[in-house]
Formats: sequence, C-alpha cells, structure tokens
Amino acid sequence: MNTAPNDALLSAWIDGELPPEQRAEVEAWLREHPEDAVRVRAWSADARSLRSALDPVLDEAVPTALTQIVWRKAPAVLPNVAWTRWAAALALFALGGAVGAGLMWRMQAPSTTSMADASAAKASGWVQRAAVAHSVYVPEVRHPVEVKAQEEHLSRWLTRRLDVPVKLFDLREQGFELVGGRLLPDASGPSAQLMYQAITPPGAASAAAKAERVTVYLRKPEDATPAAFRYEQQGELGLFYWVEGKGPKSGPTGYALVGALPREKLLALAEAIYRQDPSRP
Amino acid sequence: MDAPTAFRQQLLGVIPSLRRYARSLVFDRHAADDLVQTALERALAHWHQFDQRRDILVWTISIAHNAYIDDRRRHARAALVEPSEGFDPDASQPAASSDVGLQLDLVKALSRLSLEQREALLLVTLEQLSYAECAEALRIPIGTVMSRVSRARIALRALLDGKGAMPPQGTLRRVV
Repeated sequence: MNTAPNDALLSAWIDGELPPEQRAEVEAWLREHPEDAVRVRAWSADARSLRSALDPVLDEAVPTALTQIVWRKAPAVLPNVAWTRWAAALALFALGGAVGAGLMWRMQAPSTTSMADASAAKASGWVQRAAVAHSVYVPEVRHPVEVKAQEEHLSRWLTRRLDVPVKLFDLREQGFELVGGRLLPDASGPSAQLMYQAITPPGAASAAAKAERVTVYLRKPEDATPAAFRYEQQGELGLFYWVEGKGPKSGPTGYALVGALPREKLLALAEAIYRQDPSRP
Repeated sequence: MDAPTAFRQQLLGVIPSLRRYARSLVFDRHAADDLVQTALERALAHWHQFDQRRDILVWTISIAHNAYIDDRRRHARAALVEPSEGFDPDASQPAASSDVGLQLDLVKALSRLSLEQREALLLVTLEQLSYAECAEALRIPIGTVMSRVSRARIALRALLDGKGAMPPQGTLRRVV
C-alpha cells in the first residue's frame, strides 16, 4: 500500500470488515508503520474495555416486569378475559402433564418419597426462573455459555459457588453433548445452568447453529423437602423438575431440565441425569 | 392476532442484549429498562412485521433506537442540556483535566460521544453486529456506519487521553 489507509479503513480492519485483499494491504501497512499500529491497538483495547464495562449487564437477572411483558397477551378489548382464558388453558395443560409424568415416573423408577403434597404440585419460583434462563441463553449463538465444557474447572467452580455438588452429566448416550455452563443469580442465591446440545453428525455444520439444546438448572431448593418428579409444559418448552434429598455429603439439590423436546425424549434425558446424580449412593 | 409463543421466546432471548444496549444509551438502569420495556411492547404489537429470516436482535435494537429517539424528541427542550440526561458524568469534576488522577473514566468518556457515534461503536463492538447489520438497525448506509465507528474510536481515545476534545453533537434523526 503506497498511500496511508485512512482511519475508517483501519477501524474497519479491526472489525474484520475488509475484503481479503484490502485486509492484507492494511496489515502490510501496519507492519511498516508502528505509530499507526499503536493507535489501532489502543482502539482494540478500548473495545475490550467497553465490553468488560458493559458485559456484566448480560448476567444481571432480567427484571420480571420485562419477562411478564413478553408473555402478556396483546392489550385487546377485554384483556382480563383473554388473559384468564389463556392462563386457565395453560394450567389445565400443565396439570395434565404433571399427573402423567408423575405416574410415568412412579412406574419406571419407584421413588421412596410419597407423591408430593398439594403445595408441591405447583412449580415453585426457581422452576420458573429455570425456564426463563433457558429461553434467554439457548438462542445465543456467540455466547451460549460462560465456561465451555472443555475447561476442567467448570464442575469445581459451580460446585463451590452453589454449595451443592454439580456434576457434568454425560448425556451422549441420549444424543446430547455438554456445551458448558454458567453461574446465574437466583432470588435467594446462585444457581447453575448446564447447556447440552444435540450431537450433529460430522459435516452437518450448518445445522449446528440450530441444533436442539436443553438446559439443566441446579440450585439449592427453596424448600428442602425432597419432591417427586414433575413435568410441566410452558408453550413449546417442557420442564422436568425434582428435588433430590440430602446425600451422604451434600444438602438437597433442585434440578430442572428444560427443553423444547417431546416429553418422552426429555424424560429419557431426565432419567439419565437422575441416575447420575452425585448425591445418590 | 396475537404474537405466537415462538416469537415471544425469541424476544425473551434478546432481553439481556437489549438491556445492555439500552444501558449504553441512557446509563441509568431504570431508564434503560423503561426503554427496553417500550421496545418489547412495540415488538409485540408489530410481531407480524418481523421477517423470520432477519436477526431478531437487529430488529429489536432498531425498535429500541426509534423509541429512544422518540423519547428524546418528546423531551426536546430538556435535551438542550444533554448529552447525558439520567447520567451525571460528575459535574463537580473538571471534565477533561490533564491530571491523570482526574482522568475521565471509560463510561464517562462514552457518555460524551455524540449519540450517533456512540451507538455505532457499541453495536459493532458490544453487540458484535456486522457493519451491514448495524446499518440495518440504524437505517443508515454501510459507509456511514464505517465512518461513525472510526470517528467514535478516535473521539473516545482522545477523551481517555485527557485531550477532552468534545465532538460536536450531531443532529438526531428518527429512522422510519
């Protein structure tokens, strides 16, 4: 490059916006002109500082007022009627699901706990937050997780922060592999989200972005009573949740498995997690 | 017709990014969340206009951008004292002191950029939108994105270096 690239070009180079030829020209220029290279490095450093200054917003709990707006029906002529009808339909659906799942679970893996009492028949707050956390992070293409599965400190880190054992469940037999995990704020303490993605055959790279994802949400439950296995449906999302009682080395742990999968498929995953539970002997 | 569940879930997914974007516009947490709320309401009201081939984040940012411009226009008189209503870049402190200890910090410097430059820079560096996506969100030509981003970088660096060159406030245009 004989003439100096203007600032817009240098800046576009940082953002990876130049065609290969122009990129090479800018790179050659920067090699020979250290004073410009210094400026460009400072701009990149500023971008990193901006990200570290504002990225924490991403990890803040989303105010419920905002999620409620998203689920609210359009303010129609009779908003209350519309809302009630919708809620009633959802409740019926969820109830049917919960009963069905409860029966199914009892048939396949008889639990020592009695069928939970009426109060447990309703998803508690943390289960709701598990669903929201799922919806928030699953569509994320660039940053679906905070710590990738390959990093060996993932399990230790989450276990330490949650104060319940966090095991990285192996769901490969069920066709899902671990993407990674993140620490999340919950109403009364930290929680963890593990994200799994359907294993795609090699070569099907384009499908990767749209691969099915499920999340496992773990936390110290609000109510320490071991609770039966339950199923609930929210829109497209299915949720299996349960509370494991005190293990030999740990307190109770609440689990919620969330995914837009058919119930049978989600159940198979839930069972695999249940079997691998670290608090079980 | 009401927005389908899938669309609502997409919206839920972009809330964290929208909140970050809004925070970088108005800085104050509550004002920013108010802006996000307005954007979500508008998105829901116009869900049928969303083309599923497009990126929902770009689309909702575009809505939030317009909402912000509308809001500023509504408060046009108050805005004479902008650029940073709702955020105090510490009035007691000489803004561009040469004293290192009093140097503007990053967020303060950011708040002193013109809205146009700030938005372009943030969409590209924070949201990591491509210039084309940024152009789509702000409804401006790609070349304009390119020059705004580079001018923002230069201005920000000048502010951080304590040179305090206050870039002229650009005119504000609502995009349609």
